[in-house]
This record gives sequence, C-alpha cells and structure tokens, in this order.
Amino acid sequence: MKKKTTISKRLAIGKTKNGEQKRLKGVVAGLRKNRNGLNDKIRKQKNALVKKNGELRNGAEKQVRAEEQIHIRTKAMESAVDGIFIIDAQKQDYPIIYVNQSFQKMTGYQKKEILGQNYFLLYGSEADPQVIEKIKQTIRKEKAYHGETPNYKKDGKKHWNLLRITPVQDARGAITHYVGIQTDVTMMREKQKEIDEQREELLHVTRVGKLAEFVSSLAHEISQPLTSILSYAQAAQRMLADREPKLREILSYIIDDDQRAAEVIHRLRTLLKKSKPDMKQLDINTLINDTVELITTDATVRNVDLKRDFASHLPLVTGDRVQLQQVLLNLISNSFEALESSRDVREISIRTSLQDNDTIRVEVKDTGVGLPVENIPKLFTRFFTSKPDGLGMGLSISRSIIEAHGGRLDVDNNPGSGVTAYFTIPISTKDA
Amino acid sequence: MPAEQERLYIVDDNESVCRSLKLLLTTYGFEVSTFTSAEKFFGTVSDKDRGCLIMDIHMPGLSGWEALKRIVEFKIDCPVIMISANKTDGNPERALKSGAVGFLLKPFTDKALVDLIHSALEKPTTALA
Repeated sequence: MKKKTTISKRLAIGKTKNGEQKRLKGVVAGLRKNRNGLNDKIRKQKNALVKKNGELRNGAEKQVRAEEQIHIRTKAMESAVDGIFIIDAQKQDYPIIYVNQSFQKMTGYQKKEILGQNYFLLYGSEADPQVIEKIKQTIRKEKAYHGETPNYKKDGKKHWNLLRITPVQDARGAITHYVGIQTDVTMMREKQKEIDEQREELLHVTRVGKLAEFVSSLAHEISQPLTSILSYAQAAQRMLADREPKLREILSYIIDDDQRAAEVIHRLRTLLKKSKPDMKQLDINTLINDTVELITTDATVRNVDLKRDFASHLPLVTGDRVQLQQVLLNLISNSFEALESSRDVREISIRTSLQDNDTIRVEVKDTGVGLPVENIPKLFTRFFTSKPDGLGMGLSISRSIIEAHGGRLDVDNNPGSGVTAYFTIPISTKDA
Repeated sequence: MPAEQERLYIVDDNESVCRSLKLLLTTYGFEVSTFTSAEKFFGTVSDKDRGCLIMDIHMPGLSGWEALKRIVEFKIDCPVIMISANKTDGNPERALKSGAVGFLLKPFTDKALVDLIHSALEKPTTALA
C-alpha cells in the first residue's frame, strides 16, 4: 500500500502531461493484473500441494494398514493347527514357496529343506504312487483335490493326512498358485477303526447268537421226527421177528441213517453252544454310551436323531457287557428299521431311570409308525418277523438274555406314535 | 417178559412220537397209553393206576418239569422217565435230582429206553424213597 501511495504521488507531482499519465495508468493496471494472476497461481499450487500431501499421507497410512493385514494373515497362517503350504503353479516342477510351522512339524522337515522342492518329494519313498498320481492328475486338470492319504514323515513314521489342495487364480482367471491344507487325522482314524472293530465284534457275536438259537430250534424240530422214525423202524423190525430178512435189512439201514442224522445235529449243537456269560459290575449309562458310539455313523446316515436322557448316579448292575450291548443294539436297530418309512420326526430316545429301590429301567423309544396290535403278542416268538430279511430271532434272544440277568423285557406302542421297548435289570447287591 | 402186562404212560405233544413209541413198546409186551399233554394225563389217570411214565420236557401248557414236580409233591407212585429233543432242556443229573428215574435225549434206541423202563419198574421210585 505504501508503494501505491508513492507512485500516485509521483504521478501527481512529477508527470503532468495527460498522455504520460494514461500510459502510466496502463502500466499500473498491467502490473496489478500480473500480481493477481501470480497470487492465483500460488494459491492453486498451494492447494495442489496440500492435496498431494494428503494423498501421500493417505497412501502411507493405507500401506501401513496393508502391511498390518499381511502381517496378521501371515501370523494366522503360521499359528494354524493345520499344515498350510503354497505351490507355485507357474514353474515347471511346482515348487513349494511357503509352508507354515504346523506343516514342518507334521512332515518333520525344516523350512529350508522344503522351500523350492516339489511337494510330492516330501511324501517319502514308501508312499502309494497311485495316490500321488491321482492328486497330480487332479491338480493338472486345475481342479481342487480332497482326500485322505497315508503320509510318511522325514523319520519314516506313517501318519494319515486329510489333504485339500485348491487352485489360486489371478485377476484374469489363470492359475498362479495352489494352496494346500493338511490335517493329521491319524488319531481320528484310529478311534474310528477301534469303533468299527468293536461294532463288528458285537455284530459277529449277535450273528453267532442268532445262528446258535436258530440251530437249536431247528435241531429240536428235526429231532422229533427222527425220534419217531427210529421208533417206527425198530418197532417194525421187532414185529417182523425172523421173517422178511430183506425188509429187516432195509429197516436196519433206516435206523443207522436216522442215528447218523441225530449225531450230526448233536455235534452242530455242541459246536454252537452258548458261552457262559461273563458277569461283572457295570454302570448302565456308560454301557449305553459305549453302545451308542458304535452306531452314531449309522444314525447319521439314516438321518435319525439319537437322544439320551439318563438318570444320574444310578447304582451299578451285574451283567455280561457284550450280551447287554447285544440287547441294546437289537432294540436300537429295530427302532432304526421302524423309522425307515417315517418322514416326520426321526428320533430315538434312550432313557434310564430307577424304577424302584432294586431295579433300573432302560427304555428305547422311537417315533416310527408303531406296531399292528395283533403282532405284539407274537414279537417274542422265534421265527416271527415282519421284516423281509429278518430271521425273527432278535427279540426272542434279547428277552432270554434279559431274563438270564433277572430282568424283564417288553415292547409296547406309545400313546402317540411309535414304539417303546424297555427292559429292567436288578441293581447289584453289595456282595455281588 | 412179565407175567402180568406192565403199564406205560407216554406224554408227548408230538403225536407221531406218541404213536411210534406205543408201537415199539407194545412189541416188548407193555400196555401203553399215550397223552399229548400233561394235563390230559392228570385228567385220565387215577392214583390207583400203576405204571411207568415217559414224559417229554418241552410241551405247551404244563411242561415236563412242572408235571414232574406235581407228581413228586402229590407222592404219586409212578416212576418217571424224562425225554427231550434238546440237551439244554435237561440232563440225567437234573432228572434224578427232581425225582425222576432217568433222562433220555431224543432220538434214543429201543434198548436204552427199555433198559431204563425195566430198572424203573424194579426199584421203588425216588419220590417215595
């Protein structure tokens, strides 16, 4: 402002001619214009700088955040219980470019031994080449692989590996990597194997029991006519006395063959003689839990809900573990079959309770269609069955087992729908 | 051969077994009556009738063991031979312990049965001893 005053003064005092004044005014206006333009430019540049600065700051913050994310993800992958690995799909022999700590622990190899190696080299020389080929083919077809395979650690120790390999694609859909997750399922497999073996054993015992019962019934039915045939032939022989030697010879053949047949039946019966029950003190709830464990898979496949409603602190009972499991399995599998055609609720509930001071009651209740009333009295008759492939031995054997334990077994329709099979078993006396 | 015909009673729910045993034992000179249930036997035979009873174990209604228990309880003077087609239904030890004179597993030969009948008729019954 000071400068402006000075120039004006100079204009007023020094130069007086009109033309000169006009020229000078023009110069001043031009200068003003220039100054204003300069100010604008500075303002614009300043704004641009501020904006740029903000952008840079944002960018930096974003980068920090992105780094944090990567750090968290890496940390998470490193801490995962499952073994994780990444394969470079763009290099010819599919080298591993990342493994987490669990992977190293599972395989027994260290990171530096693994990185850059082909994944399958880690399987060891004992690995099944067919399995490896199958995985390789799946990968080559750019598909995901899912399967359980035996694996060998660096020290040669075998373990079971649940392996999932999934392709990773870039923005254009080309496969750049594979990410693999592997879980050690050795314990799970061993447990499952144990359950399968136990179930198989129990089914075997049940089958043998059914067969023995069947043979016993059959033997009884056959022994009756053998008795009368033998007596008829011997009577005829005596009636002929000294006459008809040919006929007497034929009768002696009948007698011999009859006795041979009887001998076969006795031998068969001895062979399938019931083994003596192995009576021990048992907790009935534990026994039911153990039995249910054997059929959980079966229940899942059949889409049946298995419910348990146990009275707690039940006293012990004295019984043969395998025989009682056989009874439970029979009752539960009857319920399974009853639920086969049921579309609504498919549920089996197993309930234990103290019936009185001396007796425990076990119920197996289903939500099936129930039994025709006329069939109920026949249920425990041998060879009675409503199943197309049934032998009609199950309930009759179950009842005789429970009766041998001093209990009772019965079956009844529920008031609503379905059937309840129940048995009682006396509690152990202290000296038992 | 006894001078007076000795009487035998056969109780078995299987009619053919009854018929064949009757035919066979008749050839040995016995007088044989058959019954298809223990109830029918008790309903027909009186205390005064003497003879030897051959009785099946596995029968509907009164079983052989239950019928034997009754005979022992009522002190009926009648030796009893238990017969069965099933080993698990009984054995000679259980038969003797329960008051019978013997046990035969079906099918049995005439010799085994007749020997047992003779020894039963010769000595007093365990039930009365």
